[in-house]
Amino acid sequence: MALLALGLAYPGFLLLALAMERHHRDLLGGVPLPPRRRLYTASGWLLLGLSLLPCAALWGWTFGVVAWLGVLAVAATTVAMLSTYHPRLALIAAPLVPVPGVVAWFGFH
Amino acid sequence: MKQGFRQCMAWLHTWAGLIPGWILFAVFLTGTAAYWRGEITAWSRPEMRMTDNGPEAAAMAIRELQRIAPDSPSWFIGLPTESDPLLRLLWRAPGERRFRDSVLDPTTGRVAEGGETRGGEFFYRFHFELHMQPIWGRWVVGICAMAMLVAIISGVITHRRIFADFFTFRPGKAAHRSWLDAHNVLAVLSLPYHLMITYTGLLTLMVMYMPWGMQAAYGNDQRAFFAEALGFSSPERPARRPGELTDIAPLVAEAIRRWPEAGVRRISVSNPGDANAGIVLGRGDRHDLAIRRQELVFAGTTGELRAATGNSRPAAMTVGVGYGLHFARFEMPFLHFLFFLSGLAGTAMVGTGLVMWVAKRLPKKNETRHFGIRLVEMLNMGTVFGLPMAMFGFFWANRLLPAVMEQRAQWEIKVFFAIWAVTYLHAAFRPGRRGWAEQAVVIAALCLLLPVVNALTTRFNLGHTLMAGDWLMAGMDIGFLCFGLFFAWAARKLWRLPAPVAKPARAGRLRESEA
Repeated sequence: MALLALGLAYPGFLLLALAMERHHRDLLGGVPLPPRRRLYTASGWLLLGLSLLPCAALWGWTFGVVAWLGVLAVAATTVAMLSTYHPRLALIAAPLVPVPGVVAWFGFH
Repeated sequence: MKQGFRQCMAWLHTWAGLIPGWILFAVFLTGTAAYWRGEITAWSRPEMRMTDNGPEAAAMAIRELQRIAPDSPSWFIGLPTESDPLLRLLWRAPGERRFRDSVLDPTTGRVAEGGETRGGEFFYRFHFELHMQPIWGRWVVGICAMAMLVAIISGVITHRRIFADFFTFRPGKAAHRSWLDAHNVLAVLSLPYHLMITYTGLLTLMVMYMPWGMQAAYGNDQRAFFAEALGFSSPERPARRPGELTDIAPLVAEAIRRWPEAGVRRISVSNPGDANAGIVLGRGDRHDLAIRRQELVFAGTTGELRAATGNSRPAAMTVGVGYGLHFARFEMPFLHFLFFLSGLAGTAMVGTGLVMWVAKRLPKKNETRHFGIRLVEMLNMGTVFGLPMAMFGFFWANRLLPAVMEQRAQWEIKVFFAIWAVTYLHAAFRPGRRGWAEQAVVIAALCLLLPVVNALTTRFNLGHTLMAGDWLMAGMDIGFLCFGLFFAWAARKLWRLPAPVAKPARAGRLRESEA
């Protein structure tokens, strides 16, 4: 489901943003300690990688990779816009956005 | 002035971006519209839409061509698809080089009367020919696309903090700072798309831009190259004896048996009334990423299968994928929509770049503006806001021009260019924020009223199309409304903030421009 791909990519990018000092300060306040920052980075990349799987499952590898790049662009833009205009919403949304995707995915199978 | 690699690249980025920038903006925007080429054309003549693309439809098209163009040396038929639901007829009158074209009316089985329009074809052709002589337009667009590639790469090098600023957008800072952020975010977040679309765009016309490889191997025999590399089949010479064309329906049925999913998209008939007539059926390309020709060639009088063309060697597939990525013809709504969004992002990237060039050079208090800056601002306004205004005006013209009219399709295009020209004039007389705001208001009004005009002039009003699940017509209306809301928002923002005090000066003082 396309929703699931977006639902994984969005928190992925948000975690990558949190690993950066400026965004961490704007979103959560303070500066993350190095181990926590590494955790953000690693889990962020992991989620981005995982978001490829629903794309490939839905469209096959040929179209899936193309769609994945588009999904990444949409998710990253959403992170950039939300954390600028609604930082609180950006944080609250992160754990919620995968939900409809997961429901739809397992609902269909 | 130009020390260091990065400064050098910044200079290159500024000028490789600015000089072709206006053309690039137009190429990006009309190209983005061309993602809906079939839908726009169908919106322009909604009554002519049909779903049948099987043997029956092909036979109906052939009957009509036999009636209107029996002596033509060459016919083409485009069978409808879901995203391009018109049946197109093209034929060459004897002794003419250009094809005439029309649409088949499914209710009468005859060519459609009245309502001629170029529809989405206009934006599609404009995207790479700029409504110039094709050869000139393609060269101009090609050169601009090469500059685009230079601008993208030099932009990546110039952008010092590409990862640190990945998500950074700071509205409300100094004007040029916000524009820079917007430009960066739009550019970086869709960078794979921008690179891909520019590169594959050049790829589509590579044989024209760089013919030397082909010439070295094939000499002047371009046909041989196209036949071997891209699976084009060339028609036989006419026998100059009359012959009767076989029934096309069984041939199409045979093709559909071979291509159950893709179906038949294109039919070409050479020398239809001749003993050496030929029928070529082209496979549909709405389900593969790689676009490549796969054709069944039949003898026109006997219906005997002569050849099945198609090249699936790695080189041909590579080119096919490049084409496929550029044209995005695949019928996958979500993916198609992502391409559309990316196209808009690319358009906005070029637009913000153009605007930023001026924002960086805004006059300080009591300083007069240099003529060059005023010229750039005028070109910016007339392109960034003027072109969309002209495009929406094109849709208005489609609905408001009388259905039966001499040169109707040409008049639609005249309306388009007239509006566009007026926006440049307006920009010249109303520089600065106020001018931008006024144009945004007009665009917003044009967009928001389009569904109304559509409801008044056709029976496809939004309520009706939504209820009937007619997503093509409903989607166009919803799209117009979204653009309308965006421009209304832009107009409000532009109108509110105080206009900068910039008195146009007669003799502008030269300012040292820095990249």
